[in-house]
Amino acid sequence: MGLKIEKVSKHYGEKTAVDNISFEVNEPGVFGLLGTNGAGKTTTIRMMLGILKKDEGEITWNGKPVERKNVIFGYLPEERGIYPKIKIYDQLMYFAELKGMKKEEASKEIDYWLGRLKVEEYKNMTAEKLSKGNQQKVQFITAILHDPELIVLDEPFSGLDPVNTELLKGIIIELVEKGKYIIMSSHQMTSIEEFCSNVVIINRGKTVLKGNLKEIKNTYPAKTLEINTKQDISSYIKEFGMEIEKNIDNNYVININSEPKAHELIKKLVSQGIEIDKFELKKPSLNDIFIEKVSQ
Amino acid sequence: MKDLLTVMKFTMKDLVTRKSFIISNLIILGIIILAFNIPNIINLFTSDKESGDSNANQTMLIVDAENIFEGTLEQINNMNLGYPVKVSNENLSFEDIKTKIDNKEIDDAIIISNKNGQINLEYIVENLVMITEVPESIVNAITAVYTNLQISKLGLTPEQLQSLAPNFNFEMKQTEQEEVAGNPIVMMLMSMVLFFAIYYTAYQVSASITTEKTSKIIETLVTSTTPRTIVLGKTIGVGIVGLMQIVVFVATALICSALFVEEGTFDGLIDFSKITPFLGIMTIIYFVLGYAVYAFLYALTGSTVSKPEDVQTANGPVAIIAVIGFYLAYFTMANPTSELNKLAAILPISSPFCMPFRIMMGIATNQEMLISIVIMLVTIFIVAKISVRIYSQAILNYGTKITLKDMVNLYKSK
Repeated sequence: MGLKIEKVSKHYGEKTAVDNISFEVNEPGVFGLLGTNGAGKTTTIRMMLGILKKDEGEITWNGKPVERKNVIFGYLPEERGIYPKIKIYDQLMYFAELKGMKKEEASKEIDYWLGRLKVEEYKNMTAEKLSKGNQQKVQFITAILHDPELIVLDEPFSGLDPVNTELLKGIIIELVEKGKYIIMSSHQMTSIEEFCSNVVIINRGKTVLKGNLKEIKNTYPAKTLEINTKQDISSYIKEFGMEIEKNIDNNYVININSEPKAHELIKKLVSQGIEIDKFELKKPSLNDIFIEKVSQ
Repeated sequence: MKDLLTVMKFTMKDLVTRKSFIISNLIILGIIILAFNIPNIINLFTSDKESGDSNANQTMLIVDAENIFEGTLEQINNMNLGYPVKVSNENLSFEDIKTKIDNKEIDDAIIISNKNGQINLEYIVENLVMITEVPESIVNAITAVYTNLQISKLGLTPEQLQSLAPNFNFEMKQTEQEEVAGNPIVMMLMSMVLFFAIYYTAYQVSASITTEKTSKIIETLVTSTTPRTIVLGKTIGVGIVGLMQIVVFVATALICSALFVEEGTFDGLIDFSKITPFLGIMTIIYFVLGYAVYAFLYALTGSTVSKPEDVQTANGPVAIIAVIGFYLAYFTMANPTSELNKLAAILPISSPFCMPFRIMMGIATNQEMLISIVIMLVTIFIVAKISVRIYSQAILNYGTKITLKDMVNLYKSK
């Protein structure tokens, strides 16, 4: 069940934009599609939605080809687009009708989403009069208005201020709770880490890493230990042969050689009666993993 | 089918609610109303001038103080010059005439005098800015009256008089077998109106497609419906608006004609018997078919550009084809029985501008009409197929302008 991409390739003349990519999205939630600029993310998304024809491979939704008759999907493209001279309500209604909604139902949904995204006052204004952020919110409504099962969001937060980013994040969480399959492509690794349980990283058209984000991170050993105390513990750290990277008011960032040694240090500190306010073994972030993978 | 209607409706609404569309159509309607009122406007000014003096009604005064014409000048009023002529035998000077013109008693005058055996005619008007010579009609009339006066003095028999003033019977015949009857002014006007209607309506398709590409909305659109639906929906939508425009313009012209134009005003220019319902229907058919040919060509070129500044260059080839088609029809209209005009009536790029006039002239055969319609339908099918194919392949090209070679490759690609 769900979306299955199997050995998909796309060539432009002699250039291979996507090379034998495979991944599966088999449960509701947010799936992260990561890659550098020009890695092949947008080409993969376009093939996924049937905008571009793939040269090789299979793309299926519940075992059937991804076509409008087999799956209701919503798409927020990276290239933001809107009819500049047409009223917001009219263009939302146009896309709603094209996606099979009835006028009355579409009208209700338009009002709901314009309100939910705090752009209801622009309903009867032409799009050219809106700020870029508000235009983006209108385009986001176009992608989800018709209650799609599969939602593809290409860089959904780019260009949004922190308030609107939080607003959009809240809606994405709601959509996940409703059981939607969301594929999110983004350069903002913190957003991906926040939402995605599974990811695929593409570099130069090829898959360089894929799987469950937690499991991936578990395969990477912790490299630093953070300890916040009220006392000076630098002598203990040196005793264990570790290096202090940073120390501000006894808030230590320590480079560790191995995780067991870090555990031993904490045990020692506790046994010596040192009050520890906070300690954390820091695994590499998705950002670190991403940079490492695409630099190879 | 539902999507097609949705795209059509949206395209039509988008087009008719644009300020530029509303303003340009109001201007055209204003021009039509004004054009039909030109005779009334001219009359308005003329009657203002006339209202100053009821005696002055485009009147000419002929002064024959020496009675050279022996009282025969009154005959001029029987010669249908279109304005009354007063004759005076008083000895009026230039100043007297000037006073009469200033007082609007007369518009102009001719003073006849005899100087050393030579009859002298002095033509006096208010000013000579717009007049380069004495009106030929009055010169001929005065000459005829004087000739008759002199002949009558010769004492000729009625037969001799008859032989001096022969009444020739002129007849016109053509060597071509086909009988051609038409209204040249109407044909030229209709040819131009049809060309501009087809050209500019079809151009809207290209503009609409380019707008969607340049505003990047196309990517959302192609995930909402098929490229074929988009191209067909736009073409039909824009076509319906274009047809509605023509209907509104023609209806306005007819209403204006009924309201503002006196009966018989255009009798010399237009043979209304040639403007039949069949001609109207065929003109609409050729408008629709011609529009479809050019609209699909414009859809093709429109989908190859991604920047507004490239639109003119990309549409250039279609504009050239349209102009060639128009001039082929327009210039061969002078010789409608020529092989070139027959070719223009059949070629899909020129037949919409040519065939309606051949029908009006009564020289288009049913076979010719059928052939030209079939050729246009086949052309529309082929051009539409290529356009949809190229559109589907080229819509996501946001890079450089697509060349003809690229287009061929795109058409061949899967």
